[in-house]
Amino acid sequence: MTAAAIRFQPRLRPRPRSTELGLLVIASLTLLMGAISLGATERYLAASPKGVTLGALGFGPADPFGIGLYVGALFAVHAILVLAGRRLDQVLLPAAGLLGGIGLLLMQRLPQDLVSQQLGGLVLGLGRLQLLWLLVALTVITVLAVGVRGDRWLRSYKYTWAAVGIALLLLTFVFGSDTGGARLALTVGPFSGQPSELLKVILVVFLAGYLSENRSLLAEESLRLGPLRFPPLPYLAPMGAMWAIALGIVIVQRDLGAALLFFAVFLALLYTATGRASYVGWGIVLFLAGSWALYNLFPHVRIRVDNWIDPFRDPSGAGFQAVQALYAFGRGGILGVGLGNGLPTIGGHMPVPAVHTDYPLAALGEELGLVGLLAILGLYLVVVQRGLRIAASLHDDFRALLAAGLALVIGIQACIITAGNLKLIPLTGITLPFVSYGGSSLLANAIAVGLLLALSDRGPQPPPPPRRRLRLVRLGRRRGATA
Amino acid sequence: MTAPSRRDTRIGANAVRTGIVLAVTFALIATGAGYWQVVEAQKLSTAPDNPAVIAIARRTLRGAIVDRNGAWLARSVKDKNGEAQRQYRDRSLSGVLGYASARYGTAGLERAYSTQLLGIGDADPVHQLTAKFDPRPVKPLTVELALDLRLQEAAVAGLGKDSGAVVMLDPATGEILALASTPTYDEGAVSNPATADDAFAALQANANSPLLPRATQGRYVPGSVFKVVTAIAGLDSGAITGTTTFPQQPGAEAKGLLVDGFRIKDGHHPATGGTALDLVGATEVSCNIWYALAGLAIGGGRLVEEAAKLGFGAPIPFDLPTAASRLNDGTGSAPGGFADDVELANAAFGQGGTFVTPLQMALVAAAVANDGVLMRPHLVTALQGTAGGARTVGPESWNRVLTSAQADLLKAAMQQAVEGDLGRMYTVGAAVPGIPTAGKSGTAQVVGSPDPHSWFIGFAPVDHPKVVIAVLVANGGHGAERAAPLAGLLMANYFALYGKP
Amino acid sequence: MDGYLITLWILRLLFLAMLYGFLFVVGRVLIRDLRAASRGPAEPGRLVVVASPRGEPQVGVSYPLDAITTLGRDLASGIVMDDPYASALHAVLTYRNRTWYIEDKASTNGTWVNGVAAAGPVELGFGDEVRVGEVVFRLDRGRS
Repeated sequence: MTAAAIRFQPRLRPRPRSTELGLLVIASLTLLMGAISLGATERYLAASPKGVTLGALGFGPADPFGIGLYVGALFAVHAILVLAGRRLDQVLLPAAGLLGGIGLLLMQRLPQDLVSQQLGGLVLGLGRLQLLWLLVALTVITVLAVGVRGDRWLRSYKYTWAAVGIALLLLTFVFGSDTGGARLALTVGPFSGQPSELLKVILVVFLAGYLSENRSLLAEESLRLGPLRFPPLPYLAPMGAMWAIALGIVIVQRDLGAALLFFAVFLALLYTATGRASYVGWGIVLFLAGSWALYNLFPHVRIRVDNWIDPFRDPSGAGFQAVQALYAFGRGGILGVGLGNGLPTIGGHMPVPAVHTDYPLAALGEELGLVGLLAILGLYLVVVQRGLRIAASLHDDFRALLAAGLALVIGIQACIITAGNLKLIPLTGITLPFVSYGGSSLLANAIAVGLLLALSDRGPQPPPPPRRRLRLVRLGRRRGATA
Repeated sequence: MTAPSRRDTRIGANAVRTGIVLAVTFALIATGAGYWQVVEAQKLSTAPDNPAVIAIARRTLRGAIVDRNGAWLARSVKDKNGEAQRQYRDRSLSGVLGYASARYGTAGLERAYSTQLLGIGDADPVHQLTAKFDPRPVKPLTVELALDLRLQEAAVAGLGKDSGAVVMLDPATGEILALASTPTYDEGAVSNPATADDAFAALQANANSPLLPRATQGRYVPGSVFKVVTAIAGLDSGAITGTTTFPQQPGAEAKGLLVDGFRIKDGHHPATGGTALDLVGATEVSCNIWYALAGLAIGGGRLVEEAAKLGFGAPIPFDLPTAASRLNDGTGSAPGGFADDVELANAAFGQGGTFVTPLQMALVAAAVANDGVLMRPHLVTALQGTAGGARTVGPESWNRVLTSAQADLLKAAMQQAVEGDLGRMYTVGAAVPGIPTAGKSGTAQVVGSPDPHSWFIGFAPVDHPKVVIAVLVANGGHGAERAAPLAGLLMANYFALYGKP
Repeated sequence: MDGYLITLWILRLLFLAMLYGFLFVVGRVLIRDLRAASRGPAEPGRLVVVASPRGEPQVGVSYPLDAITTLGRDLASGIVMDDPYASALHAVLTYRNRTWYIEDKASTNGTWVNGVAAAGPVELGFGDEVRVGEVVFRLDRGRS
């Protein structure tokens, strides 16, 4: 930023964020209550086969250190935002934090040995690793929310970002390792991450830049074929490229979820930028045509779709995961069975395979019931709504599209994975934002939330109207020398 | 070169619209969640491969199954390790009870009533709520059957080494008093984890298929017992009456009846000479030709329709899985699915493509016995216990197939078949001493085997019948050889136990 | 009915209730924001371009104004001017007490109001013309 710009920024003073504080208090108490109920359930389950008198069991929380650290971190972020003094959105952090906390409770509740990592002498299990990643994510959110002042680094280099994205994509095509069927991960040393998570953010950045630059052209000059509108020919090429990339991801990476997510976000942003529903219509036609072709040409797609249509046909083989997830939802009912009380084991293993990455909603649906599931969906809606509202209030096309895109990418991803868990669409391997286990997923969503917070800066508060007797010249004295 | 900044509400409005679309999508997803968690919850929660159900089955004592007199037929006890062990009283019940094995699943009644025996099939929402506060919410129910153990054991003993089935029921209520299938097997051996593997392998290797419950799922050519169905169909449709005779019948006795060039023979009754038979006479001597002509008079479509009222054409709704009895394979172009008149004529006296289950034939006799009203067959009379879902099952009427007068006529015909001078020869031993008995025997010619199936269906006493019986001895010879005497014996046994009327 | 189980269920239900409590409070915040947004003045004023020697921005283009709007070359400005004679932060247009003021921020080429160089905050009325760099704007009433 230029020196003049720095001088222009009024000196930052700590500014109270009372709404955020209140919401964080409620969220923390909720998480605490969840931890207590989880702890009590665990104690009950351990005691009941032995016939210990139940009255003797206490009511402490399950993992006080983990939950305490997480809640403390949330308040620390709040404190830093207060000190930074920018007028940022006050609902995003508590909502995302509550979702992360629910995810943490879930990871603490699952068997810890589902995932383990060695970190110098210490062996960390599922719960601790998720906590670690959540803390890193919170740091990222804070850094982005406070540190990002201008958007030139995003806006002016969109083609660079696109190139980085495509490079990442090609790297995963070529060097990626197959983790359980479809997702491809890139392994660098001891860490393996899923680049498609980061790619979704890069995609949004690129699309925001590209569409904001060309939006008037896209909206106004369109080819007309009778009542239908196509975007003008020179711009059909990037759109076609987008479709081809999505197909490529399905074919090469076998990652139906990422392809669907990218294409859906692209269509949503296209509509937001141009307002032409017919473009979206064409996109859907392309999607259906592509899906039909993929279904008929590629066996791995066919297997997924057939399994989705009737998993009960092969309940102990291909349909096992889907069938067990449905049983979990059925067992949950309206109120659930209680945190920690669900997921009856089969021979010592979780009944739903990969529940911590692919099927977190099955576990949450069983333990928190329909009521809890609706609340979680509500939280995602809150995050998306805030993001879209931020987008609506921004002056600048690029920023508005960027904010809308980031909000939509979180929301659409939540939609896709939830619908897949509930057998409404075929299961795809993408993660539930903030809740699923996974460092790459948490980081990418943290980047999204952090950028949204930075974009939500409403600027300095307008000074209060001066009392009538003051003269205007006082204003001039404070602001520095006049020309 | 950057675009001049300008706040453009269009992006804002578009973003809001996209947000609304997303919210609608979330609402649809929420509906989907509601479907699985509320609408389908009961079915999902009681599916046998649901791990919760498996876990409950492992640690609960399954409920007991008892007979009508309270005698236990199957029960679970805890062995010395604290594991639940399923015990069975008698192998004569294997066709009914099935088995309950941790490895091989469940069969028979153990399977059909698995959720009730485990105590998890509860639909009462209040009870579901209070169950959450109960550390031992699972309360298995006891299943009470209408069966009488003594009748069952006698039936199995009577069948001996032959494959076959016996069905005894009370025509006024539809309660099943005995449902025997041979060969039997040791249910306890399959249910006991220690012996399960060997026992199950032996059962599957056994060429006589002991695992097939013949009474409900075995399908056999009926032979002459099917004539009762034709008689019912004829009377109800009006095609025949008590006085119907067929002029061509006496003449065809010697050389056989020609139907479309196919000769239907009948060698059973030279004793009637040249008299034209009526319904009672034809039933007494089991005249194929008369019945073939009756079938042609009724017509294929009508015959199938009337048979459907008795339960033909679809699995009989019952506490256990049943196989559907049928008159033909349905591929023919003539009315009713018959290929031509020849097939119809053959079916009318129980040959051709007709396949029936013993239970179905018992129901046919029960319809006649109960003045033309067929009652729904049921095995389970009550579910006892403190859990919700405890209930009693009462008699329920199913279809009226004959008027009271027509039923009386047919009863008289069937009584002649058992007690008449000529009829007696075909149903040796079926009459219960001292009690008016009615019935019909059958000798079903089987393609590929020299020995026909031996059939008998009947009831006693003729006025206000108390018991209906159907006996099948597969490849047992003429009806009079095995089925009829066994039926008489078992009915006499019934009256010995329950008192003569 | 077991006492511990009942308490346990009360805890679980409390957890669910608090989740909804959170959503409820958020809902109130959202409604409050919506009301505030619709209650505020739609547009206190607009700047319309009356003269633009370089052709960019075009004559006739109008910019909606906020309570505080910055003009300048910097991308973070409220009205970004791609004009070599405009400074990074050139001037600030504020609306207070139902009056418009423009103040030059030590720009290289100065800010001119109706042809007169502005020194310190100057009151503006609708119809007044402001020159920043080479572009001349006119202050107009806001559209509702």
